[in-house]
Amino acid sequence: MKGLVSGIKRMEIHDGDGLRTTVFLKGCPLKCIWCHNPESISFSVQTAYFKEKCLHCGTCGDKHTAETALSCPVNAIVTYGTEYEAYELVETVMQDEAFFRAGNGGVTLSGGECLAQPDFAVELARLFHEKRISVYIDTCGFVPRETLKRILPYTDKFLYDVKAVDPAVHRACTGQDNAIIIDNLRFLSKMGAAIEIRIPLVVGYNDMEIPAIADLLKDIPCISKVKVLKYHNFAASRYEALGMENTLPPALTTSEDVQKAVDILASRGLNAVNGVTSD
Amino acid sequence: MTLHQKELLDNVLKMMDYSGEEDVLKSDCDIDIYLLDNCEITVPEINRFMVAVDCRAIREIVLRERFYAAKSTIRDPAYADGMAAKLYFGTYDFGHTSACWEDVIDLGIYGLRQRIDRYRDRAGNDPHKQRFYREITRVYDAALRFIARAAKKARDEGRTEMADGLDHLTKGAPSTLYEALQTVILYYYLQQYFDGTLLRTLGRLDTLLLPFYKKADKAIVPQMLLDFMQEIDRIRAAANMPFALGGTDEQGNDLINELSYLLLETYRKAGTNCTKLHLLISKNTPRDIVENALDAVREGNNSIVFMDDGRVIKSLELLGEEHRDAVNYHVVGCYECGANGEITCSCGTRMNLAKALEMALFSGVDLLTGKQIGLANDGVFPTFDDLFSEYLRQVKYAVDCGIYCTDLCEENYGMLHAAPIFSATYVSALENGGDLYCDHSAKYPNSSVDAIGLATATDSLAAIRKLVYEDKSLTLDELKAILKNNWEGQEVLRLTVKNKFPKYGMGDKKTDDLAKKTVDALAAQVNGHPNKKGGIYRLGLFSIDWRWKFGSLTGASADGRLSGETVSQNTGATFGADRNGATAHLLSVAYLDGTRTPNGAIVDLDLHSSAVRGENGLNAMTASLYTFLDLGGFCIHYNVLDTETLKKAKDNPEAYPNLQVRLCGWNVLFSSLSEKEKEEFIARSESAGMSA
Repeated sequence: MKGLVSGIKRMEIHDGDGLRTTVFLKGCPLKCIWCHNPESISFSVQTAYFKEKCLHCGTCGDKHTAETALSCPVNAIVTYGTEYEAYELVETVMQDEAFFRAGNGGVTLSGGECLAQPDFAVELARLFHEKRISVYIDTCGFVPRETLKRILPYTDKFLYDVKAVDPAVHRACTGQDNAIIIDNLRFLSKMGAAIEIRIPLVVGYNDMEIPAIADLLKDIPCISKVKVLKYHNFAASRYEALGMENTLPPALTTSEDVQKAVDILASRGLNAVNGVTSD
Repeated sequence: MTLHQKELLDNVLKMMDYSGEEDVLKSDCDIDIYLLDNCEITVPEINRFMVAVDCRAIREIVLRERFYAAKSTIRDPAYADGMAAKLYFGTYDFGHTSACWEDVIDLGIYGLRQRIDRYRDRAGNDPHKQRFYREITRVYDAALRFIARAAKKARDEGRTEMADGLDHLTKGAPSTLYEALQTVILYYYLQQYFDGTLLRTLGRLDTLLLPFYKKADKAIVPQMLLDFMQEIDRIRAAANMPFALGGTDEQGNDLINELSYLLLETYRKAGTNCTKLHLLISKNTPRDIVENALDAVREGNNSIVFMDDGRVIKSLELLGEEHRDAVNYHVVGCYECGANGEITCSCGTRMNLAKALEMALFSGVDLLTGKQIGLANDGVFPTFDDLFSEYLRQVKYAVDCGIYCTDLCEENYGMLHAAPIFSATYVSALENGGDLYCDHSAKYPNSSVDAIGLATATDSLAAIRKLVYEDKSLTLDELKAILKNNWEGQEVLRLTVKNKFPKYGMGDKKTDDLAKKTVDALAAQVNGHPNKKGGIYRLGLFSIDWRWKFGSLTGASADGRLSGETVSQNTGATFGADRNGATAHLLSVAYLDGTRTPNGAIVDLDLHSSAVRGENGLNAMTASLYTFLDLGGFCIHYNVLDTETLKKAKDNPEAYPNLQVRLCGWNVLFSSLSEKEKEEFIARSESAGMSA
């Protein structure tokens, strides 16, 4: 079972509980204008060219390909998308097993949308689960119900993104309707899954949605935490290097905005946390 | 009539005997006594425990004079080129000591003086021994006169608490927490300024002070400890003044107690940067004190070293030291461990692993000077294993040379330095009736070797293996020509090697094996090798700030390092080479045998501040520590770096007067670093940020 991976990050503390390794699977069905992992949107291997790093040494013959990325001496050419066999990826991640055990952590499958490579994601989750490694699934929820059913038995927690309640706002920000997402969230809740909600807060785009999100979530059981993440535009150079249109909104969201959202969510009885000040 | 530093120095130099026949023990006792009786005493307003004296640099100058007088005996010109090129270095070390603190605190200066009499009475008529007791008795009598003088001065200035304490210490052991703390500082002064023997730890303060703490009025303790900590800090000891918390007793019980917590809390509150802390972590150390210390690191107090108690003990036992001595070890200087009763001379011998590889490649000829300093060879290495064996042969040779140079100094300690005040704290010195240095009277009169540049040498070997023996993209001769030319015209290849090749610190066993084999070979050669003092050598792997000097004298290396650039730090990866993040870095380091480096092997783990934020950040830090120690690590230190803060502090130093970073084995204020060092820290923080 093979899959395409856009990155692996070890000793991660921001993607779930404890000390974790996050595996980013490549490809996503949404196209959020604020996406901070643009290299993980496409389902194919991509090559990026970071011109500010380039020495103009001529090694690549000015061709920016997966091939020349291998020989670029300063990694100005970078390939996003490495094909892994599931067992091989598991082996790599398991190097840190002792750290996971000591740090009450495990592995987080993220993306992109990890469940958009359903067979690969399920196989990974199954293998980790077999090794008694905690598995978190970081998902946008825009996935077939069937996939959720398949991954559920191997999942210790879902990190579930909620970006907007108003379908028009959701479409404007992500290119897709949110009915499936809300439905899936209710389904997971009904199944008794552990869920942590994550809300990327982008002032001017979805900050007005917070009260509606709060109203939606307060009636859904099984939500242990609602974390508000502060939008940043650090990914700008990656959009350019990938030759993608930079859709990033200006970075106006402040820590105070995040706290305001947290306060609204908390006032509805939700366990809301500030992603800036907490981990 | 008391004298200032300048007059004291002039007079001391007049007392010295330059005939080459100097009786160093007698001379040093005379100097100690002269200084004790004549130095000017002042009572700084801010000090609570101790007066101040100014004997700055006097003993260093005495030692320097003796060194020049003895140079033809203690230096062999045949080794001058290898020493100058820093392939190896061997010298004396009177600077890394721990008093026997239990006895100092138990007996006080007065009690130490009385104890000498009892040993003298038991010793019979051995003239050598009797002379030793007589000499050190004279010094201790002078020390008691000094304390009386200090007490009087304090009283004259209306400082009753200080005066009462000192007065008591002229006639008895410390009886209160205040007097115990006063004794620590007083003894520090006596050994450091009068004896001229650098004291490099205050010992396990939580255990030493516990009986006094139990009797003390708890309401006044926190302030007293804080005043103590800050007074220690104001001494501005060279390369920081450590104290230790924790450890275990002979039965294996963990020694963390109520006072440990209070001392840690005080340390956090004190905001000092000269005092530093060794936390000795056993299997039973309460997790909360470890977390508390890591939290302190995270908040900017990174002067804490986390040591694996079990592994330290094991490493000392493997040297043949008795269990009860190994358990009650001390940590001097940065992270050098010595058993109770051991003199480590931890910084005597150094050798440069990166330079040893240069010797293997260039037939023992120094790339920078063209001089023959290593072993010659025919330059033919059909396989990588052949080259690796030649590298180990050059390593062995460099260690042998360094040891030879150290031996020359150490067997002539009698020409250089005596330590009467220090010696009287060691029971072995009293039993043997001899000075710890002149007569090598310690129970374990040992010596040490430090190997420097492990990652640089390992990465270079890995690069040669790949380029020459696996990819066969270059011949060894072509690569040698490139190194000789300092990579000139080969920037693409150099950066490819630097950025793309496997490196030590990435958790890659194939590369890490090279480091492990190097350390195993060093340990087999060094640990247990007899010295000239009746003791043995011990291995360490720390580089401290020597790495700059050693790097400046090392030619271009195959890992992409340019000629003259620094070699790698301690047991850590080359900066920027830990491309797989902190856990992989720790896996590489823990793969080394942590039981064979009693002289210290530390990794400096750079973490970006965002990677340790919040509750989960502390949890991850704690997990990284415990996992590293479980997997075999010896000791670890964390630098939590924030690029933005460092950049701002570089541009605007006055806005960040207290920002500290760990330079190597000790902390420094960021503002005190050179521009080059500041830039290195900023680059390190950026690299930590990338993997954060």
